Amino acid sequence: MNRILTCLLALAGILASSGMYSQTLTGIVSDENGMPMPGATIVANGGARGISTDMDGRYSLDLGAGQHTVDYSFVGYVKVTREVTLAAGQTKTLNIRLETDAVLMDDVVVIGYGVQRKKEVTGSIAQIDSKQITAVRTPSFEAALQGQAAGVQVSQSSGVAGAGSLIRVRGVASVSAAGDPLYVVDGIPITQNYFLRGNSGAMNNNPLATINPNDIESVEILKDAAATGIYGSRGANGVILITTKRGKSGTSYEFSSSAGFSNPASLPNMLNTEQYLTLRQEAWENDGGTGYVWLPGFTSAGDSPESRKAAFEQAMLTNTDWVNETIGTGVKHNYSFGARKGGDKYNVYAGVSYDDNGSYLIGNSYERVSGRLNADFEPVEWAKIMVSSSLSQGINNRIDAAWSGGLGDAMSNALPYYPVYRTDTLFNADGTIQSLPGDYYLYQDEWGGTKNAVAVRESKTWITTENRSINNASLVLNPMDNLFIKGSGGFDYMHVREDIYNPPSIFLTSDLGNANRYANYVLNWNYSLTADYKMDLTEFSSLGLLVGSEFQRTDSYGYGIGFGDVTGPIFENDSLLEVANGQTTVNNPSQHSFLSYFGRANYTLKDRYFFQATARVDGSSRFGRNYRYGFFPSLSAGWVISDEPWFESGTLSFLKARTSWGKTGNAALPDYARFGTYSAPDNGILYNGQPILFPLQPANPNLRWETSRTVDASIEIGLWNDRVTTELAYYNKSSQDVIMNVSTPPSTGFTNRWDNVATILNRGVELSIKSRNMVGEFQWTTELNFARNYNELQSIGDYTPDAVSGGTNDSRVITGSPVGSFYLMMFSHVDAETGLPVYLDRAGNETFDYDNSERQYVGDGLPDFVGGMTNTFRWKNWDLRALATFSYGAKIFDSSSKRQLGVVTSWNMRTEILDRWRQPGDEATFPRLTLDETTYGLPSGFPWWNTSLFVFDASYLRLRNLTLGYTIPQIGEGKHAIRNMRVNASVTNLFTITSFPGLDPEVVRDFENAQDRNMSPNVTYLTPPQERAFTLGINLSF
Amino acid sequence: MLTNMKSLRLLAGIVGCTVALTGCDRMLEFEPGDVILAEDAINTADDLQRMLNSNYDVLANLLNGRQQSIAELLTDNMARPYSSLDYTAVWNRETNFFTPTTGGLYTDFYYAIYRANVVVESFDLVEGLDDATRLRLEAESRFVRAVCHWYLVKMWAYPYGYTGDNGHLGVPLRTDAVAPPSPRATVAEVYAQIIEDLEFAKANLPNENGPFASSMAASGFLAHIHFLRQDWSSSRAEAERVINSGLFQLDSDLDRYEAGSDSVLAGDLINPETVFGIIGGYFAVEGDSLLNDRSYAFRDNFRQDNNINPQLTFSDDIYDLFQLNSADDRGDWIESNGVTHKVTRFDDKQFFNVPVVHLTGLHLLRAMALVESGGDLQTAIGDINAIRDRAFGADLNDLDPASNAAAVLAAAREEYRKETLCEGWELDQMKLRGVMGEPETVRDAPWDCPGSLLQFPNSSTTAAGFILNDEGGCL
Repeated sequence: MNRILTCLLALAGILASSGMYSQTLTGIVSDENGMPMPGATIVANGGARGISTDMDGRYSLDLGAGQHTVDYSFVGYVKVTREVTLAAGQTKTLNIRLETDAVLMDDVVVIGYGVQRKKEVTGSIAQIDSKQITAVRTPSFEAALQGQAAGVQVSQSSGVAGAGSLIRVRGVASVSAAGDPLYVVDGIPITQNYFLRGNSGAMNNNPLATINPNDIESVEILKDAAATGIYGSRGANGVILITTKRGKSGTSYEFSSSAGFSNPASLPNMLNTEQYLTLRQEAWENDGGTGYVWLPGFTSAGDSPESRKAAFEQAMLTNTDWVNETIGTGVKHNYSFGARKGGDKYNVYAGVSYDDNGSYLIGNSYERVSGRLNADFEPVEWAKIMVSSSLSQGINNRIDAAWSGGLGDAMSNALPYYPVYRTDTLFNADGTIQSLPGDYYLYQDEWGGTKNAVAVRESKTWITTENRSINNASLVLNPMDNLFIKGSGGFDYMHVREDIYNPPSIFLTSDLGNANRYANYVLNWNYSLTADYKMDLTEFSSLGLLVGSEFQRTDSYGYGIGFGDVTGPIFENDSLLEVANGQTTVNNPSQHSFLSYFGRANYTLKDRYFFQATARVDGSSRFGRNYRYGFFPSLSAGWVISDEPWFESGTLSFLKARTSWGKTGNAALPDYARFGTYSAPDNGILYNGQPILFPLQPANPNLRWETSRTVDASIEIGLWNDRVTTELAYYNKSSQDVIMNVSTPPSTGFTNRWDNVATILNRGVELSIKSRNMVGEFQWTTELNFARNYNELQSIGDYTPDAVSGGTNDSRVITGSPVGSFYLMMFSHVDAETGLPVYLDRAGNETFDYDNSERQYVGDGLPDFVGGMTNTFRWKNWDLRALATFSYGAKIFDSSSKRQLGVVTSWNMRTEILDRWRQPGDEATFPRLTLDETTYGLPSGFPWWNTSLFVFDASYLRLRNLTLGYTIPQIGEGKHAIRNMRVNASVTNLFTITSFPGLDPEVVRDFENAQDRNMSPNVTYLTPPQERAFTLGINLSF
Repeated sequence: MLTNMKSLRLLAGIVGCTVALTGCDRMLEFEPGDVILAEDAINTADDLQRMLNSNYDVLANLLNGRQQSIAELLTDNMARPYSSLDYTAVWNRETNFFTPTTGGLYTDFYYAIYRANVVVESFDLVEGLDDATRLRLEAESRFVRAVCHWYLVKMWAYPYGYTGDNGHLGVPLRTDAVAPPSPRATVAEVYAQIIEDLEFAKANLPNENGPFASSMAASGFLAHIHFLRQDWSSSRAEAERVINSGLFQLDSDLDRYEAGSDSVLAGDLINPETVFGIIGGYFAVEGDSLLNDRSYAFRDNFRQDNNINPQLTFSDDIYDLFQLNSADDRGDWIESNGVTHKVTRFDDKQFFNVPVVHLTGLHLLRAMALVESGGDLQTAIGDINAIRDRAFGADLNDLDPASNAAAVLAAAREEYRKETLCEGWELDQMKLRGVMGEPETVRDAPWDCPGSLLQFPNSSTTAAGFILNDEGGCL
C-alpha cells in the first residue's frame, strides 16, 4: 500500500512538473521594425532542439513550472536570452524583438557573380538592406544610400523632381571618362547614361529614377579591388549591386503608402524693388552718373534725365516677388504592393507601385508607375530557372530651372519692378495693339530671350517620358554536388522621350507655336555563363572556384523632330503623332560591347583563414587592337583572429583583419573616341557646288584602359559580445592612364583629343561603428560612419590646367590639387580707401588688376571627410529614427554669385550685397557698387566676375531624416490577419547647420557631360535647393 | 558523385567551351556610322579634290565678313559696336583668351591649314595620281595654307618689320598634319613660308581658276604681302602682273558686292575685278532655295535697311572724311543721322560674292609702292585717277599730274581707305605706317599697344610653353 501510495505521489509530482497543469510561453518574434520573423528558433534551458516560429512569427513553448532560460535566435540577428518564471498552469506571453547582428558572421552578402558568407569576405563591401533604403523617402532610390556606408559619398541633387544624385565611392578617379560606380541589377550592368538629353532645361536625365525602391531586397556596395576585381574593367569607381526581392515559402503580402508635401529647404534672399533701385542708383552715382539711373527694360543710359526719372518712379510702383511666383508646395503620394508566394518547386515575387512626387517648383512633378515579377522554378533537383522582369514608366512634368528659367529667372534676370501682368496697353510700331492689361508682361534678358517665368511655365508644355524594362533570365544547373553552372541572359531597355511645346505667346513670333520631340533609345544586352564549384580539400580546408565569361552590348540611338506653326505638343495632335511615330530617320546608333573572361578562387583554412584571388580579362570595343584587352587581377586575405584557439578576451568578442591588392579599370568613355573620322560622303555640304570632305576627329589607336591599383586593409572588431562593432579601413588607390578629353591647340587642326594622360591618387580611411547603447525595453542604437579621402591629380603630362575644364564651371585640372579644383582669380579684400577689389596674383602680391593669366587654385569641391550617423530609439511599439549626414572641408563655388553679388547689371541681387563699400574707410565685404565692369578690372561687356570671393566653405551637418513610427504586431486572426502594421511620420532635411551663405551646401547642378560631372562637384548656378518634405506613411504585412 | 579531379576536369571543359563560344574578336568591332574612318577617307583623286574643296569651304567661312569685321574693328573706321560683347572687346582692343569670336576665327584658320597639309601629305595614298593633278592639288593647298598663315600672323602678331630681324613672335607655323602642337614661330619664319607657298602656287597654277586659287590670285596676295614687307618693287611687280594680265577689269560702278538673285547659279556673279574671292551663295536650280549662304557675316553685321541697330557702324572719323567732298559717290555708303553712321554698302542684298583681292586694291597698292620706291609717279597718279573717275565721275576730281610724291601717297592712301571700307585692309596700312615710324594712333592709343593684337584662344595654352600676347594698354 505504501508502495502504491508512494508511486501515486511520485506520479502526481511528475504530472505536475510535466504539464499536467500546462505552463505555456507564447509570443511573437519580430525584427527591429516589428516585422514578424517566421523561422526564428526558440530554445529553452540550453536544450539541443528548439522550436521555430510560424509564418506569423508566433511561437508556443510548453515548459514546466519554474524558472527557465529561453534563447531566441535567427541567422543574422543577435541572440536574445530571457529568464522566465512560470507558475503552475500559467500561460505567459513574451514578445521578442531581435536586432540585426552587425557582424553577421553567417549571413551572406551578394558579391559579383555569387554570394559569400560575410565571415569569408576578404574585400570591402558595404551592405544596405531594403529597410534602410525605404526608411527615407527620396526622389530616387540611390539618394537613400546617403550616410549609410563609409566611403560612399552621396550628394543629393537639386529640388527638381526626378533629379539624380551624385555618388562617389572612395573619391573620384576619372577626369573625362565617367566616374560613377557601376550599377548592377540582379546581375545585369544596367544603362546609366546621364546625358541622353545633355542638360536640357538645366537637368540631366536620371537613369535610376524608374527603379522602384520597394522592389529592392538589398544593395551591396563593392569598394576595394578585391570586391570589384571580378568586374575588372568596370570596377575602378566602385560597383553597386542591387538585388531585388524574390519569393519565399508561404504566402505574404506587403502594402505601403505615403503622402506628404514639400517646401524648399531654403529660400533665396533677393532684393525688393526699393532695395534694387537704391543700389542701382548708388552704382550709377559711383560711376559719375547724375540724375536718375537708367533701368533695364525701361530706359537706357542715353535717355534724357526726364525719361529716366519717369521710369524710375514708375518702377517704384511695382514690387514683384518672383521667387514666390515660382515656388509653392509640392504634393507627393506613393502606393506600393508586393506579394510573395513560394513552395517546394517555385517561388514568386510580384510588385506594383505608383509614385507621384511633386516638387515645390510650381508645375514640376515626377510620376512613376512600375511593376516587377521575379520567379524561380525548380522543376528538378538539378535545375532551376530564375526570371526577373521589371517594367516601369516615369513621367516627368518638366519646368525650366536654374539657368533655363523658372526659379532661376527669379534669382537672376527677373527684376522686382517687372510686373507679372501688364497694367497698360502696349502698341506695336504700326499702332496696332500688341498686348492688353492682364496679358503677361514680357521682358528680354541680356541675350535677347523673351522672359517671364510665370508666362513660360503656364504656356509651355514639357514632358519627359521614360519607359524602362530590365529583364534577366537564368538557368542554374547542379549536375553534381557543389557544382553550379549558370547561364544568364539580360536585356535592359530604355526609351526616353522629351516633348516640348512652345506656344506663340512666349515668343510673339506668330499665331502658332512649335512642337519638338527628342527620343532616345538604349538597348543593352548581357549574356553570362559561370561555373561555380566548391570542394573540401581536407578536413580543415576548402576551395571554391568560379569561372565565367560575359558579353555585353549596348546600342544607343535616337532622333529629334520638330513642327512649326502648330497648336499643341505632338502627343496631343494625331496627325503630328502619326508623323513622329513613323519617324525612321534616326541617328546612327552608337554601339559598344564588352567581352570578358573571369575567375575567382577562394581558399578557406580552418574557417578562419581566407584567401581569394580574382582575375578578369576584359575586351572592349572602345579600344583599338593595340590595347583592346586588359587584365585585372586581385589578391586578398582575411583572418578571423578571434577564432584562434589562443585568443581569449572578455572584451573583444570578434576580431578580423583583411587586406587586398588589385587592379581595376575604367572604360566609360564615348564609344568611338579612338577613331579618326572624316565627314560622311553625303554630308550635304558644298562649296560653289563642289562636294567637300573634312576631318572630324583625330585618331588615337593607342587609347587604352584607365587602370587603378588599390591596396586596402581593414580591421573589424566586435566588443562586449558584439554590442559594439566597428570597422576601420585604409586604402590607397593609384589611377594611371586616366583618360582626358584634352583641349588641344587649334594649330593641330583639332580642338580636342582623347588621350591617356593623368595620374590620380585617392587615399583614405573609413570608420564605421554600430553601438547598441541601450538594450532591453528601451533600446537605443547608434550607427556612425566616417570617411576621409585625399584626392590628388598627380600628373597631367605636359598639359596646362586649361587642357580640361568642367563645362562652364571654372574647374580645371591642376597638378597637385584634387580633381574638381576651382581655378579663379584670387580675391583678397576691398580696399578701404577706394572701395575697389584687391586681388592676389600667383606670387601673392596684391593688385587691382583682374588678369585671367593669374588664375590659380582657390579651393575644391571635394570634402575632407563625410559621414552619417543614425540614432534609433525603440520603446515598446514606438520607434524614432534620426539620420544626420555631414560633410566637412569641401568648398562651393557659388557661380551665380558673380552676377548676384558683383557688378550691378540687369540681374537682381541678393541681400548680402548690402554690405558694400560706400565711403573711404569702410570695411566691407563687397566693393563699391558699379554699373561698369571695368571698375573691377573686368573686360568691358563681361560682368562675369570669376573670383574666389564666391568660393565658400560648404561644410554642413544636416538632419537628413527624422522618422517616428508605431508598430502594431497583429491585427485579427487567421488567414486574413494583418501580421504587422506600422504607421510613421517623417521629415527630411528638417534643418542644416552650415556657414554657407547660399541656398544649399549640398548641391549637384546640371552637368554638360561626364567630364563636367567629375570636375564640377559643388558648383551651383541658380540651382534650386533641396526640398524639405513632410510625409505620413503606413506599411502593412499580411 | 564525381571526384574532385573529375569535377575540375569538367570545370576546365566548361571554361574551354565558354571561351570557344564567346571568343570572337568581331564581337568587339563597332565602327561609327555616318562618317568615314580616317584610314578609308582618301583613296582617290576625287577624295583629294573634295578635301581641297573643304579648304575653300573654311576659307569662305572666314572671309565672309568675319575676318574683315574683326580687322575693321581694330582700325579707326568703326564706331563702338552696338551690343556684341566680343566685337566691343575687339574694338576696345582688350580681347582675352576667353573671347570666343576671335578664338573661333583663329581656330578656323588652322582648320584650313590642317586640311591643306593633309592633302599635301596624302598623295601617296592615291594610286595612279597623275603628276599634273598632284601639282595642282599641292599648289592650291599651299595657296590656302599661305593665305591662312598670313591672316593669322597679321592679326595675332606684331607686323613684319616691327623688329630688325623679324625675330619677334609670330604664330604657330604648320607645314605638316602631325598631332604635336607647335610653338609660335618667328614672324620671319612665317613670312618666309608664306612667300614660298605662294610662289609655288604662282608657278604651278593656271592664271585663271574661277573662284579657286590661281596664279594671278597668288600674285595678288604676294603684292599685298611684299607691300607689308616694304619690298616695294616686288609688290609693284606682282600687282602689275595682275593688272597687266588683261584678265580683270575695274568695275564700272562702285559696287563690287553685286546682290545675288534667284537666277544665280554656282560660279556666277564673279565681279570682273575680283582676283580672288569667295562665293557667297547660289541656286542649284533657278528659284530653288539658296545654297551655300556665305556672305552672312557682312550682311548681318552691317545691313541697316532691315535692322534698326546694326552691330557695326562707321566712325565719326570716316563720316568726316566723306563730308570733305560731297561729290564722292561713295558717300552713299553712309546713312547718318549725325550721331550714328550706318553702312549702306550691303543694303538690299540677301547674298553676294565677296571680292577679297581685287583690282582696285592692287591699283592703289601699286600707286603707293611706286611712291614709296621713288618710282613712276604718273603711273601712280593714273592708278589713283582710275579709281577717282569712278567715284566722282570722269575727270571731276582727278589728282593733278604735277602732284608731288607726298600728295600722291596721301591720295592713294585715302582712296585705298575709302575703297576698302568694311574689307579690313586698312588694318594693314595702319600697321605698316606704324612700322615705318609714322605717328599712328587708333582712338588715342598707340597703334601697337598690347591689346592691338588679338589674344590667342585659351586652347592654345593647353600645351605647356605657349606664349600669349600681352593684353591691355589700349584704353
